[in-house]
Amino acid sequence: MIARPHLRIIATAAIALALVSVPALFPDFLVYQFSVALTYAIAILGLNLLMGFNGQISVAQGVFFAIGGYTTAILATRYGANVFATLPIAVATASLLGLAVGVPALRWQGLPLAFITFGLAVLVPPLALKLEAITKGATGISMAKPAPPAWFPGNQDTMLYLCCLAGLALCVMIAARLTRGDTGRSLRAVRDNGLIAESLGINLAKVRLATFVTCSGMAGFAGGLFAIVNGFVSPESFQMTKSFDFLVGAIVGGITSISGALIGALFVMFLPDWAADMNIALSGLIYGAVLIAMMLLARDGVVGLIRTLATGLGAYLAQRNAHEQPEDRQSRQFQT
Amino acid sequence: MMQLFLQQIVEGLAAGAIYASLALALVLIYRATRIINFAQGEMATLCVYCAWQLNQWGVPFILGIVIMVPASFLFGALTFRLMIRPVLGASDHTMVVICIGFFVGFEAIALSVWGADPRAFPRLFPDHAWTIGGVRFTANNLGILATLCVLTLGLSALFRFTRIGLAMRAAAAEREKSPLVGIPVETMLMLGWGLAASVGFIAAVLIAPSLFLSPPMMVPVVIYALAAATLGGWDSPAGAIVGGLIVGVAESLCATFVSVIGNELKVGVPFAVMAVILLARPRGLFGSTAVIRA
Repeated sequence: MIARPHLRIIATAAIALALVSVPALFPDFLVYQFSVALTYAIAILGLNLLMGFNGQISVAQGVFFAIGGYTTAILATRYGANVFATLPIAVATASLLGLAVGVPALRWQGLPLAFITFGLAVLVPPLALKLEAITKGATGISMAKPAPPAWFPGNQDTMLYLCCLAGLALCVMIAARLTRGDTGRSLRAVRDNGLIAESLGINLAKVRLATFVTCSGMAGFAGGLFAIVNGFVSPESFQMTKSFDFLVGAIVGGITSISGALIGALFVMFLPDWAADMNIALSGLIYGAVLIAMMLLARDGVVGLIRTLATGLGAYLAQRNAHEQPEDRQSRQFQT
Repeated sequence: MMQLFLQQIVEGLAAGAIYASLALALVLIYRATRIINFAQGEMATLCVYCAWQLNQWGVPFILGIVIMVPASFLFGALTFRLMIRPVLGASDHTMVVICIGFFVGFEAIALSVWGADPRAFPRLFPDHAWTIGGVRFTANNLGILATLCVLTLGLSALFRFTRIGLAMRAAAAEREKSPLVGIPVETMLMLGWGLAASVGFIAAVLIAPSLFLSPPMMVPVVIYALAAATLGGWDSPAGAIVGGLIVGVAESLCATFVSVIGNELKVGVPFAVMAVILLARPRGLFGSTAVIRA
C-alpha cells in the first residue's frame, strides 16, 4: 500500500496539474469563470484559517473582499497605478480594516461576533452607493484588463487565470505554513480550549487578532484579483450574499482543510449556474436543497466526506488483509 | 420639534413591536435547539402568502389568518422533524449552512409560486387615528403594540403556568436529563419550532401591509430582529422584546434626525447599537452568562 504522505503529495500534484491545464481544456468564458472561482478560493482559504483552524466566526469575508476590490480599482483608474502593484495595497487596506474589526471582536467571540460581522456585510452595498464620490455609486468603476506581455503564448484570459492561480498558490503556501508546526498547534489550541491554551503560554488575544488580520488580508488580496479579472467593480458585485457564499463555500468544502477552499469555491461559483440551467424559477430551491442535503449527508464538507471514506476504506482493507493471512496459513496446512 | 420627536418614538415603538415579535420567535428556537434560524422571516413570508391565497379564493381575510396560525405551527414542526432533527447536536457551522439553505429555498418557493411582483396585503386593524398633544396614534400602531402584549402574556403564561410549558423549558435547558423524568424531548423541541413559526407568522402579518407582500419582504425585518435578540440576550424572551423596541426607536430617531444616515444607511443603526452594548456586556442586556467548567 502507498504510505499516507505519498498519497498527499500525489493528490496535491494531481490537483495542481488539473488546475494548470484548465486554460487548455476550456473555452475562454469558462476560463474567466474559473479565474473568478480561484479568487473566491483565496477568500475562502482565509475563512478556513479563521473558522476551521482558529474557531472564530466571520460573516464579513465579503466586506474585506469588497475593500480589496475597490482599493485596486480606485488606485488603478484614478492614479494610473499598475494593477498588479495595487495588490499589496489592497491587502494592506483590508488587513487594516480587519484589525479595526478584530480588536473589538476579541470581546465579541462566538454568536455576537457572527452578528456584528453580518451587520458589516449588510452595510457594505448601501455604503458603497452612498460614498459616490469615491466609489462612483451604482455605475461602478470599469478598468482596462491588463494585456498579456509580448512573450506570453496565450491570450488575456489565460494570463489572468494563471495570475489567479499563482496568487492562490502563494496563499496556499502561507496557509500550509501557518497550520503546521508550533503556529498551527497554537491556532488549534486556541480553538479547542482557550483556557488551556492560555495556561500553556499562548497569548489568546494575539493569536486571535493575528488570524483575523491574516484572514481579512487574504480576502483583500482575493478582492483585488477579482477586480483585475472582472475589469469592473460595483456594489452589485459585493452584495451581502457574497459573504454568505464564502461562508457556504468554506463549510461545504470542509473548513479544516486547505483543499476544501478550492472545492467550496467551485461549488459556490458553478452550482447556482447549473441550478439556473436546470430550472430558472427553481434555481434557488435546488441550491437550498443541495445545501441542506449536503449537511444531512456530509457534515464536515466534501473533504470531510473524502477523509471518512478513505479511513473507512483503509480500515476495510486492513481487516481483509488480516482475515486473509490466517486463511492462507490454513490452506497451506491442508496441502502439507 | 418635540412633537416630531415624540411622533418618531411612537412610530419606532410600533416598528419595534414587530421586530420584537420576530426576535421572540428567534429566541424561542434558540432556546429550544441552540439554532439561530435566520430563515424565520422566509418561513413566515411563505405562510403569509398562503393566507393571501386563501383570501383570493374567497375565504374571509380574518378567517384565513386564523386558519394559518395553526398551519404555520404545523409547518414549523414539520421543518424541524424532517430537516433539523437528523442533525440535532451537530456543530454550529452545520446549522448555519442548513439555515442558509432554508433561507434560499423557502424564498425560491414563494418566488416560483407567486412571482416577484409585490402584492397589496390588507391591514388587520381599521384606518383610524387619534391625535393627543399633537402626536398621532393610528389604530394600526396601537393594534400592533396590543398584539405584542397579548403574544408576550400568552407565551409567558404558557411557559410559566402549564405542564407543557414547564416540559418545554426543561427540554431546552437539559436535553440529556429531561428524558429521565419522562419528558419527550424531541416532541418538546418540535413544539418550540412550531410556536416560533406561528409567532413569526403573526409578525409577518402585522408588517405585510406596510411593506407589500413580496418574497424577500422579511429580509430587513429579520436583520433587525437578529440585532434585537442579540441586544437583549439570546436566552431571554423579555430581552428580545426590550431589544426589539430599542432597535425600532433607535432606527426611527436616527433615520429622522441624523441626516448622514437617512433611509439608505438606517439598516446600520441596530448594528451600531448592538456593537456598543455588546462591548460593555458581551452576553446582551438580559442574557445570562453560561458557567463552564474547563
